[in-house]
Amino acid sequence: MNTAQEPVEYATEHAPRMRFAEHAPAVYKAMIRLDAAARQGLDPKLYELVKIRASQLNHCAFCLDMHTKDALAAGETVQRIVQLGAWEESRHFYTEKELAAIELTEAVTVLTDGFVPDEVYEKAAKHFEEPELAQLISAITVINAWNRIGVTTRMTPGHYQPGQHQ
Amino acid sequence: MSRTQVLDPAVGQAMSALSAAAKKGLGDPALAELVMIRASQLNHCAFCLDMHLRLARGNGESEDRVQLLDAWEEAGDLYSERERAALALTEAVTVLTDGVSDEVYARAGKHFTEVELAHLIGLITVINGWNRLMVSRRVQPGGYQP
Repeated sequence: MNTAQEPVEYATEHAPRMRFAEHAPAVYKAMIRLDAAARQGLDPKLYELVKIRASQLNHCAFCLDMHTKDALAAGETVQRIVQLGAWEESRHFYTEKELAAIELTEAVTVLTDGFVPDEVYEKAAKHFEEPELAQLISAITVINAWNRIGVTTRMTPGHYQPGQHQ
Repeated sequence: MSRTQVLDPAVGQAMSALSAAAKKGLGDPALAELVMIRASQLNHCAFCLDMHLRLARGNGESEDRVQLLDAWEEAGDLYSERERAALALTEAVTVLTDGVSDEVYARAGKHFTEVELAHLIGLITVINGWNRLMVSRRVQPGGYQP
């Protein structure tokens, strides 16, 4: 049995495949600008839920580390973050508006499964006014972009400090 | 129900800056179009396919290479090893939920310098962004003029 005196030996931390921001600084700067533009007009807690759910689907470890920490710093509860992976069975943790956004996030994230169904789009459109809906679509797009960079360059999770990239 | 055509101008401008930076850093306009067509095929983006097919043809891309892109793995030497490595990476990064394997990444690393590879990843990322913005809002094809 482990005690506080016997530290657990975890697997070795992997190194990133490349340092993306150093090799493509103009692309990285444009990503930061895009992120800042996409978050305008969206509730910060909702924004983090969207970012966490997309990062779960895309298995982006660095993004999960970052956005769960930012969500907690924004006042999100541990329960709502933990339940997000099974939101269909824990709907009462979320508002109908959040559920519509989460559902849209899944459809836009797993895009190769085919289009964004009318039913999902219409549910989101019922809860979000047009400009806010456009921002939500942009926000889902942006986290999907970060997920692609994070997974492909294998960014290392664990070292993010809340608010570090804001 | 029609879908919103709204896109915040600041988002659109940042997306355009992102595209321009990625394309410039890759430095291979013909390959850039192949990558953008292939990602748009996988994501079923009609607007993006229409746009990038026009751009590829406008750049003098051959009809065979455009038509057979969907089956590039079976198309023999129609595409170079460098292009094939880029297309394999495009597919992995686009589908993403299956991960980006060491094999696919290393194959791209053999044909591209690290700076080129970073911009290729940037380009695959940005076309995936455009695909999401256009498919979600169901932007109709045919509106793009080269």
